[in-house]
Order: sequence, then C-alpha cells, then structure tokens
Amino acid sequence: MLNILILGLGQCGNRVLDAVNHEAFGSGGTFAKYYSRQKFPASVKTIAINTAINDLKGLTDTRAKDRFHVPHLHGVGANRTLGKKVFDDNKEQIMSEIDKRGSFELIFIVTSTAGGSGSSFAPLLVKELKKAYNAQIICIAVLPFREEGSIFLQNTAFCIRELVAESPNGILLVDNQYLKKYAGDIKSAYDKINTSVAMRVLFLIEALNSEMLMVTDLGDLKTVMNGGIGIGTMGYYEAGKDGTIKSAILGSFKPSGLLFPTNVYNEGARAMLIIKGDKKYLDLDLITKTVEELSTDVGQVFKGVLIKKGRPKVLSLFTLNSVPELERIYADAADAIRFEMDKREQSKKQLDGAFAHIDDLEPIY
Amino acid sequence: MNSVRILVIATIFVFMLLIPVVVASGNDSYIFDNELQVNEGITIETSIHIEVVDVNRIPPERAKFRITSYQKPERTITVFREDGPQVNKYETYRGTSIYFDVIGVYSDSVQFSVSGPSNWRVTDYYDVETEEDLEEVADAVTVPKLKITRTLDIASVQQGQTVKVTFKIKNEGNGTASEIELDESTITGAYMEGCPASLNDIAAGATERVSYDLKIIDAEPGTYELNPTLLNYKSESGASYSSESTSNVLVIVAEEVLVPELGIKVTIESDDDVITCGDRFPAIIRIDNIGNATSGRVTIKSHLPDDVRVADGEIDPVYESIKPGDFVEYDVTMIAYEPGKHIIKMDVLWADAEASASAEFWAELSGFDKYYIYILAAIPIVLILLWLIKRRREYSF
Ligand SMILES: Nc1nc2c(ncn2[C@@H]2O[C@H](COP(=O)(O)OP(=O)(O)OP(=O)(O)O)[C@@H](O)[C@H]2O)c(=O)[nH]1
Ligand SMILES: [Mg+2]
Repeated sequence: MLNILILGLGQCGNRVLDAVNHEAFGSGGTFAKYYSRQKFPASVKTIAINTAINDLKGLTDTRAKDRFHVPHLHGVGANRTLGKKVFDDNKEQIMSEIDKRGSFELIFIVTSTAGGSGSSFAPLLVKELKKAYNAQIICIAVLPFREEGSIFLQNTAFCIRELVAESPNGILLVDNQYLKKYAGDIKSAYDKINTSVAMRVLFLIEALNSEMLMVTDLGDLKTVMNGGIGIGTMGYYEAGKDGTIKSAILGSFKPSGLLFPTNVYNEGARAMLIIKGDKKYLDLDLITKTVEELSTDVGQVFKGVLIKKGRPKVLSLFTLNSVPELERIYADAADAIRFEMDKREQSKKQLDGAFAHIDDLEPIY
Repeated sequence: MNSVRILVIATIFVFMLLIPVVVASGNDSYIFDNELQVNEGITIETSIHIEVVDVNRIPPERAKFRITSYQKPERTITVFREDGPQVNKYETYRGTSIYFDVIGVYSDSVQFSVSGPSNWRVTDYYDVETEEDLEEVADAVTVPKLKITRTLDIASVQQGQTVKVTFKIKNEGNGTASEIELDESTITGAYMEGCPASLNDIAAGATERVSYDLKIIDAEPGTYELNPTLLNYKSESGASYSSESTSNVLVIVAEEVLVPELGIKVTIESDDDVITCGDRFPAIIRIDNIGNATSGRVTIKSHLPDDVRVADGEIDPVYESIKPGDFVEYDVTMIAYEPGKHIIKMDVLWADAEASASAEFWAELSGFDKYYIYILAAIPIVLILLWLIKRRREYSF
C-alpha cells in the first residue's frame, strides 16, 4: 500500500485539503464524519498548515490533530518575504509534525500561488521534504482570479518560479480564473473547485494504489510528470448514458474537464489516463486503440483501467510542453511590478517634494 | 243561749265538712315529725300503723317502714333520705294519701315526717312486739317451729352435672317436731337422688341437715325456679304444723363440649401490600387455639404460587399440641419472582378438622427491572452520543 501525505498550505491549500478529507467519507454528506470512516484508497495522511488560526478553525472534515498552526497571528498578509521568514522560524516544528506521520512515497502539496503563507511555504517545503524523504513530490498550485490584484499576480509569478527551481516531481495547475465558470459567486466557485480537485486527487491515488487490469504506478506517474516543462494539469470526464468509452476518454481531454486552460493536443507532452467503471463498458480493444490515437498527438500516454461499479469515469493527467496562459500571467505580473515600482517612485517623489517645503525650516513655538 | 250553742256546733260541723275537702285538695300539713327507734311505731287516726323496721346509714341512707291500715294488706316501704315526700306516698283504703319523708338516719333510729290531711293526728305510740317477745309469751306451751333453709352448692349448672341440695332444718320452737314429712318437687329433666321423704324427729333448738343430689339429665337450658320445700310436722301434742323454705333459682346451661378449635392467620409484611420481585419479604403465620381444649398434633400445610419460594424458615411446621387460649407464631422469609397478584393459602390440620387462611399481595418488578428495557435501549444511544461527541472533538480545532 502506498503511503501518501497531502499537505494543504494557507487558506486555499487548507480548504482543498478539507475537501479531500470530505470526499474521502464518500457520499455521506456533511454528517458523514460523525458516523463514517474515511475510505482513502491508500494510506493517506493529511496536514493542514497555516499561519492564520481562523482558516484552520474554518475546516470541517480535517481532524484537529491534523491542523497545524504556525504561530504568526492572522496570516502574513500576502507578504511572501514575511512568509518565508515565518517558515524558517518554524521549520523544525513543521518538519517534526510531518515526521510523526511516518514515511511517504508520494507527497502532495496543495497551495495557492497568490497568498502569502502557502505560496512562500511551498517551495521551501519542497526543499525540506526532498532532503528528508525519498518521495515523489507533486505540487498542486492554485492560480488566482486575475482581478484579485497585482500582489497576487506577483506572488504567483515568484511562487511558480521558486517552485520550479526546487524541482518537485511535478506541478499541477488549478486556475481559479478558468474555473470561475463553475458558479456565480466566489464562495460556491471555491467549493466546486476544491471538490473537483479533491475528487481528481483521490481518483489518482486510487489508480496508483490499485491492482489494476492495466497498471499505472508511481513510476508511470514520475515519467509523466517528468515530461515537458514539468508543469501540467488534470482533466476528468464522466460518461453519460450512451457514450462509448472512446468518447469518455476523449472527454477527459476536453477543456470542460480541465483544471487549467490548455490545448492538450497541441501542448501535451506526456499523459496518463485512468479509466474506471463497470467491466461491461470497458472495451479494452477500443481503449487501447483510442489511447494509441491520442499518443500521436500527446506523446507517451500511460493508461490504467480500474474495474469498479458504475459508468466509465476517466481521469487524465498530463504535462505540457508550453504553457501560454502562464506566460500571460508572467507578462501581467511583470507589468504589474513595473507599474507598482513606477507608482511607488512617483509617490516617493511626491512625498519628497512635499517635504522639500519645510527643508530649511524648524518648528517655531 | 241554746241557739248560740247550735250555731257553734253548726259552725264546727261546717268546718268539719270543709277540712277534708282542703286535705283532698293537697293542702297537707305534718301529722308527724320526730325520731323513732327501730321497732317503734305510731298509729295515725287510730287506723294507720307505721312501724320502723330497719334503718340503713350506708348511703343511700334509708329506713324501712311497715304500714298496716284498715282493709289493706301489710306493706313495707323503703324511704330514701333524699327522695322527698312526694315520692313516698301511701294511700288508705278510702283514697286519702299520706307522705313519708326521711330527714335523718341514725344507727338504730330514724327522724322522719308524715304529712297528710291537716286534721289527722298521731293517736298512739307503741313498741313493736318482736318474735323474741312472742317466744317468751309462747314459752308456756311447747310448740315446735321448724325453719327450713335450702341451699344449692352451685346456682348455675351444666347439663349432665349434679347439684347438691342441702336442707338446714332448725327447730326454733320449744317442742320436739315429729312425723316430719319433706315434700320436694323437682324440675323436668332432672332426677333427685337420695332425697328423703320423711325425717327423724327434731328436738327443740336442734338443727338437722339433709342433702340429696339433683342430677340434671336433660333439662332444657334456662333459668328455673325451684318451688319451696314443704315441711309437714306435728308437735308432741299432735298438732299439725307446716313450714316452707324459700324458693331457689337454678340456671341450667347447655353442656359444654370440650374441643380444640384452631384459627390460622397469615400476615405479609410489606409497605402498601406491594412486594418487589426477587426481594425477600417476611410472612408471619399465627395459629390460635380458640377452642376450650388442648389440641392434639397440629400440622400446617402451605399452598404457595409457583413463583413463590421460601427463602428462610420452615413454612410447614408441626406442633405437638396447643393449649386452649394459647397460640403459636412463626415467620418465614419468602421471595416472589413474577409480577402480579399472589395468594398464599395456609391450612392448619388437627384431629379431623382443618382451617385455612390466605394472604394476598402484589408483586412488582423492581425499579431496575421496570426500566431495564429502557436502560438497554439507552445504552446504544448513549454510546452513539459519546461516539458523536468524540468525533466532534476530533474535528473541532
Ligand atoms: N480554489 C480556491 N482558491 C482559494 C480558496 N481560498 C482562497 N483561494 C485563493 O487563494 C488566494 C489567496 O491565497 P490564500 O491561500 O488565501 O493565502 P494564504 O496562503 O493563506 O496566505 P496569507 O493569507 O497571505 O497568509 C486567492 O487567489 C484566492 O482566490 C479556496 O477555497 N479555493
Ligand atoms: Mg490566509
């Protein structure tokens, strides 16, 4: 059995993690935690780490002992520099908290790239975890809504750069802006996004841990995540009443099931397809044929088939050769930084000018 | 002068006519108011004789008077000191009343008053001639005088028993009584055994005792009056005399059968007659001999409901005997297991008789038993609650 650790950093990471814990209870709903057991498809440990105690208190399905508060009052206010300092100050406690839970073969780090805590902790954690564990580390990075402001954009830009620099096994992007379409208001959009991410993560874990008909394993995952620039995302498709398995597989590459806007056929480097469903739907020849077709466009495609009750569900996971959307973010971020710098200079000048009025004057009483 | 005399006489005559009318109308006055010794007497208007027979100073103080008057039988009246004159009335043959009132009683005298018609006067004071006085007079001729007294050894007798009847015959005369014949009557259902019909001569002053057995055979229970015994006898001169004893009262009661009679009583001690299932409770059994004879061997037999056990004590003991008026009492500790009404029946058997008694009680499940099912039901709820609380704790940060 795989030993897996999921770390949720900052408010965003905490809440996605909470959604994972919630989904692990199955279809029981809000009260499932009172009577049910979590049905993780592997040995899964979770820790929600945050500087803001209120964010931790807001969680519902994560055990109290799995919520770790890094003492710095109410978050670091999107200040990554401060966040890094706080991490350094509390590194030992954080690492020992993780250490308590044993050793792991696969570690997920879930964080927003835009805030202060999660985005600054994530790269540093990757570094520390790599030192401490011989585990694959996959970061799930949540990108901000674009209109959230220039600081979030800057943070995202620096966070992703630092993450890549620490070279985890892979970075899976989740784009709030792109997924805004899920719901009208931010709160329900967050819940939807978090649930979607959670479901995909659990699906992936299940696939990696199962005795499958056609096997994907940690090695396959490593290979997929090594493809392209090491950055990718996940897609998902649940077959309708009379869809074929082929349409379900192709569906998982469609923009509607992706967590980050990309054209898989153009930009995909490597992919992993996990197909789950009742045996009667799973025409292995058709699956193999479809995957072969995809390989011509996407490159190496690993596939796994899980025999489980129900209609076919397909999870796709892939790495990209190029990420135009990310480039756009960086351009925006650079603009924003420059604009901020100009504004700050101007403001400073203005203030200096103002001060100049009293340059050679002393107060008279 | 003559006419004056006539007038006076006429006036007196008119007065004499008027006075009795006044008396009759109740305008009485004292005829006598003085003290008399016992055996002293007065005569009023020459025809009414009043003698003091007896006085009694022990309260109620009283005096007994013997009154004789023209055309009326001798009468004795007893006057109590506090009664007042109205109560003690004596009426003459003609219908005139006189009234007695005792004012004071002394050791052998009485002060009393007699009121009546105002013209009536005490016409004589005299001493009563007592018997002794008479004897002295009669001494000259020898006359036997037998006085017979009959006594019974018991006044109340059961059927089947025998009464000893004794005659005491005293010759109070001064001559020998001879040819004495005793005439004794009996009651139906009784038999006289050894009752002499004739007796030997009894000399003057001698006393003879004679007795016989009166066997009550099958006389009906009741109160009987034994008729006076009649004695007929003769003096030496051959004159015939007779005397009587007083009559006696004999009560005959039904023959008493001596049998033991046992009664049994069962008492269950509990508060408000409710017993808790499974709890020990005491029962007291008491056997009384309400008969008049000692019983023989007494056996006690219990009849318990199926779910009632004796936890302690012997419930069916045997007693060798129980004396009349006596009782035995023992207690046992029991347990009832089922709820509901229970009846404990106990028989007491002796000779060829038996008696039984029963006691009732309710058995109820104990508080715990009653709520046992609820407690059982509550356990999982409590466990679930504890589990929920634990879970909540686990998830509250
Ligand atoms: N998908 C998703 N995004 C979220 C959620 N909560 C916050 N975000 C996004 O996360 C970004 C803000 O980062 P946070 O995670 O709140 O910041 P933090 O890591 O807690 O750091 P500080 O609060 O600055 O200490 C914004 O872009 C939000 O849109 C959530 O529940 N789901
Ligand atoms: Mg925060």
